[in-house]
Amino acid sequence: MFPQILLNGLFSSSIYCQVALGLTLILGVMDIADFAQGGLYMLGAFVAFLIAKSWGSSFLFAICVAILAASAVGIINNIIVYQPALKRGANSLIAALGILLVIQNLALLVFGPDYQTFQLRFGQAKIEIFGGTITLYKSIIVLESCLLVLGVWLFLQRTKIGKAIRAVSQNKEGAAIVGIGSRKVSVFTFGVGSALVGLTGALVSPIYAFDVHFGTDVIVKAFTISIFGGLGSTLGTIVGALVIGIGENIIAGYISTEYSNLMTFVLLILILFVRPQGIFGRRPI
Amino acid sequence: MKSGRGSLLFSLLLTAIFCVLPLIFTSNLIQHLLVIIGITVILVLSLDMILGHAGLISLGHAGFMGLGAYTCVLLVMKYKMPFLVSLLSGAGFAGLLGGLIGYPSLRLRGHYFVIVTFICGIIFTLFFTNLVSITKGPMGIPGIPSPQITIVPGWSISFKSKAAYYYLVLAFIFLTIYVKHQLYHSRMGKALLAIREDEDLGRSLGINTHAYKVGIFMISTAFAGLAGGLYAHYIRFIGPDSFTMLHSFYFFVMNLIGGSGTIAGPVIGALLLTVIDELSQLLQPALARILFGVFLILVILYMPKGIMGLKTLWVSQMKGE
Repeated sequence: MFPQILLNGLFSSSIYCQVALGLTLILGVMDIADFAQGGLYMLGAFVAFLIAKSWGSSFLFAICVAILAASAVGIINNIIVYQPALKRGANSLIAALGILLVIQNLALLVFGPDYQTFQLRFGQAKIEIFGGTITLYKSIIVLESCLLVLGVWLFLQRTKIGKAIRAVSQNKEGAAIVGIGSRKVSVFTFGVGSALVGLTGALVSPIYAFDVHFGTDVIVKAFTISIFGGLGSTLGTIVGALVIGIGENIIAGYISTEYSNLMTFVLLILILFVRPQGIFGRRPI
Repeated sequence: MKSGRGSLLFSLLLTAIFCVLPLIFTSNLIQHLLVIIGITVILVLSLDMILGHAGLISLGHAGFMGLGAYTCVLLVMKYKMPFLVSLLSGAGFAGLLGGLIGYPSLRLRGHYFVIVTFICGIIFTLFFTNLVSITKGPMGIPGIPSPQITIVPGWSISFKSKAAYYYLVLAFIFLTIYVKHQLYHSRMGKALLAIREDEDLGRSLGINTHAYKVGIFMISTAFAGLAGGLYAHYIRFIGPDSFTMLHSFYFFVMNLIGGSGTIAGPVIGALLLTVIDELSQLLQPALARILFGVFLILVILYMPKGIMGLKTLWVSQMKGE
């Protein structure tokens, strides 16, 4: 049983890791706990589903459209709501929840209240690893997630805009002094972060049944992970996602499914008390 | 409020109006709304004790409300305790847990405290759902009796009718306002004001900011628990869905829209949003929630201090400042 739990945990971890990475980028640069990303996750799933199922086009194309859609909505949110909110010193958390409300209910009007599912034609073969089984599609997601995280890390470390993002998240004024406009960076970060979230939503749409409230759970967990690991730390996000993804499956496997969420949150609260900055986070100066 | 006598007269007038309201509006629906608004007012006032006085945001107050509600109901139904004792025990229990959670988490700064309260709200809902042997799980507890308060042995008041319940709630609203008012003018209120404005400066002056924050959080959660008990015995059914994160969010929005740090603000906010919520039943629910979301964003952007903030602005403009 244990290898199976480990494999399931690995899959959950890779999903959480991608979403948490998007959130932590945004939280770092804009200092916004953007719960509206839950809506973008749902949007990614719906867009991919609609394009792949109704138009019958290839799933890869559907995923690309989903990424673009999520990223566009993320950028629009940023320009229309978050930038003015930050400028006025308004409460961005409430603004985020307001946006989530709007996105979810717009989706309810457009997509309807039903749960949606669809089956992929490829990747349903089961692979056996160390006595546990996992579908090919899930293992592709795990692999893709590893590559993606590596890609994002390289992007943040090596490219100019990646360095700018890190600069702004460490010190806004300092970045402004050396000529990094935080407005441009924040729009870009929102684009990248939302793209990550939308991509993940699109990827899991053939696996889970989803409705318009699909993203809420994942977002809360992803926040837990990014706080657990330490905001803005890629390594922390990976470790947090692994701990929570695998831990949750262990609890669900050996104790009970109902309590797996509970354990996640209790763990987070304990961590916050011992190390408020997260496991790999730095204390603010 | 500068003119003490004027404001006293004004509040007396308001009190009189609130007392005769159920006599004017005898329709069932409006009396029901009045009770619901009253209970919500207590909750938003309790929330404002931490937001308005100490600048702390809690997104888990519906959870504490639920704690109070479940405790009160279980004491009344399982252990046959008198209503008032159970109500106060419920409030006490919510306050106690508030203290237990607040003590470690109030050391956290910024987003972290909000996130802890948010998660606590979720955890409480999970408990309400999963502790089936105590809370009956997702089915909830139906058939809660209406409260009976025994004044002298053999003579008790029953709060079966909506109007009677309204007066019971009104009494607790006055209690809440009294406590809040006293708090505001006490040493604690001044310390909390210092915390809201600049916590580090307060600490440098020797104010034990952490103790004051835990204290006000306990009082606030206790009143949330009280509102929960009142709610349970009015609706006469409670379940995990009565106290979700969405409710916490609504209460917080009410506080924000009414204006925090005042007594009238929470009352206005609760009144306005409950009425809007009722009116929006006329629309399609999804559409109503979209409009609510947009309204919320606009309020956040253009009215960050809420309706009471507008009043202050208006007064200062009248004086030509």
